[in-house]
Amino acid sequence: MNKGLIGCLGIGAIILFVVLVGGCAVAGSYNRLVGLQQKVDQSWAQVQNVYQRRADLIPNLVNTVQGAANFEKSTLTEVTNARASVGRVQIDPNHAPVDAAKLQEFQQAQGQLSNALSRLLVVSERYPELRATQNFQNLQAQLEGTENRISVERGNFNSAVQEYNTAVRTFPTNLFAGMFGFQPRPFFEAQAGAEKPPTVNFNFGSPAPAPATTPATTP
Amino acid sequence: MEITLKIAQLDSSVRTGLAVLLRMTKKRTRLCLGILALFASAIVAHAAETVPPKPDRYFNDYAGVVSPGAAQRFNEQLAQFERETSNQIVVAVWRTMPSQSSIEDFSQRTFQAWQVGQKGRNNGVVFFVFVADHRMRIQPGYGLEGALPDITCNEIIRDAVAPRFRANDFEGGLAAGIDLIFKAIRGEYKGSGKTVRESGSTQSKPAGLLIFFFVLVIFLLAIRASRRLGGYRYTGGGGPFVSGNWGSGGGWSSGGGGFGGFSGGGGSSGGGGASGSW
Repeated sequence: MNKGLIGCLGIGAIILFVVLVGGCAVAGSYNRLVGLQQKVDQSWAQVQNVYQRRADLIPNLVNTVQGAANFEKSTLTEVTNARASVGRVQIDPNHAPVDAAKLQEFQQAQGQLSNALSRLLVVSERYPELRATQNFQNLQAQLEGTENRISVERGNFNSAVQEYNTAVRTFPTNLFAGMFGFQPRPFFEAQAGAEKPPTVNFNFGSPAPAPATTPATTP
Repeated sequence: MEITLKIAQLDSSVRTGLAVLLRMTKKRTRLCLGILALFASAIVAHAAETVPPKPDRYFNDYAGVVSPGAAQRFNEQLAQFERETSNQIVVAVWRTMPSQSSIEDFSQRTFQAWQVGQKGRNNGVVFFVFVADHRMRIQPGYGLEGALPDITCNEIIRDAVAPRFRANDFEGGLAAGIDLIFKAIRGEYKGSGKTVRESGSTQSKPAGLLIFFFVLVIFLLAIRASRRLGGYRYTGGGGPFVSGNWGSGGGWSSGGGGFGGFSGGGGSSGGGGASGSW
């Protein structure tokens, strides 16, 4: 009788101990996941920031370039259209997307704008008097700085997502991560063709060769 | 052209590593834990590969284009600037870029690794010059993007530094560049009168070193005591060795305080600034 009671108490204590330790471990991992998720959202906000910065530069750029004598119209409309389609992608700036297709759509729109802008800069090589203006040089410096910021913040976002996804998917956190609604997040993929060097045309004689950059082909 | 290239600066091997990693975790997470860790460490090692070690000074002329006297003067100016404004400016001149990637990517990774600027303020600036490549870059931390916007960086490079570099006047170009950066960012933050190195707040190394030597001394003393107990007689063999260690340890941890040594304050950068060539 007495022995049984002690045994029961012992087993009870062990169970209590296991539950306590397990609870602490779960709470610890949960808090860690919350922290990692916040970091993902934070770096997403930064990504949105720098893309917005680029979008804000475009009206000024278009105005400056329009002023140049007979600047190629098609390049300009392309930039304006790409800028407009970027605005049409509705995406929450404060929370990183959970849906990979949504991010894909966002990335595609921004990629089109990147292509249009780089084509515009390539075309502008043919207008030396435009490139010599203070206004254009300033815009180009801002644009280059912004493009670099974009690649930095995308990199930061990707590493934040990578850390979060690793936490969500590894044992033992993966046992309950789904239960609390922690889903793996999609991240930016390299643009199709970005690993290949751009083709360069050495057609000095004929005017207006085809644009040097290949258009965006998304898989 | 440059833009499309820059969009995906993660280099291809890291990218494929990531892809493989993710594909595997989808399938059999638990089995692949070990391999995962291996991949992660490989990626970390790869990313850290080409960042040069943190310098000990503000002005670092690895290419030997300015006289030692001028280098000393620049270094003292930059240290004094940190004392007054808490802004950290690190200037480094290499012969060629010690990395295969773009100048922007290299500057960003080096900025982060060196932790230029104060933690929280992110008020660092790096000014990198690659003499044989004829390339340079000025990059501010997050906290100085307002005072030193891309346009200003571009103007400093284009109008003040590049013409002097073109005339082979590296000393003059660097002096002009440093001076204009001073002018742009002075007044943005207030300094404490001391550099990070001088206040020694973020340095955890000396403390760790002291503990290490403390443990070492106790260990050696214990060995000596046990040997004496065991009958071995040591006549002063270990004594000088131990005290010699103490001496060098103390000297190391307090060194570099007086002459403008650089220690990163923990700042970080978002990739602003401008690059230029001459």
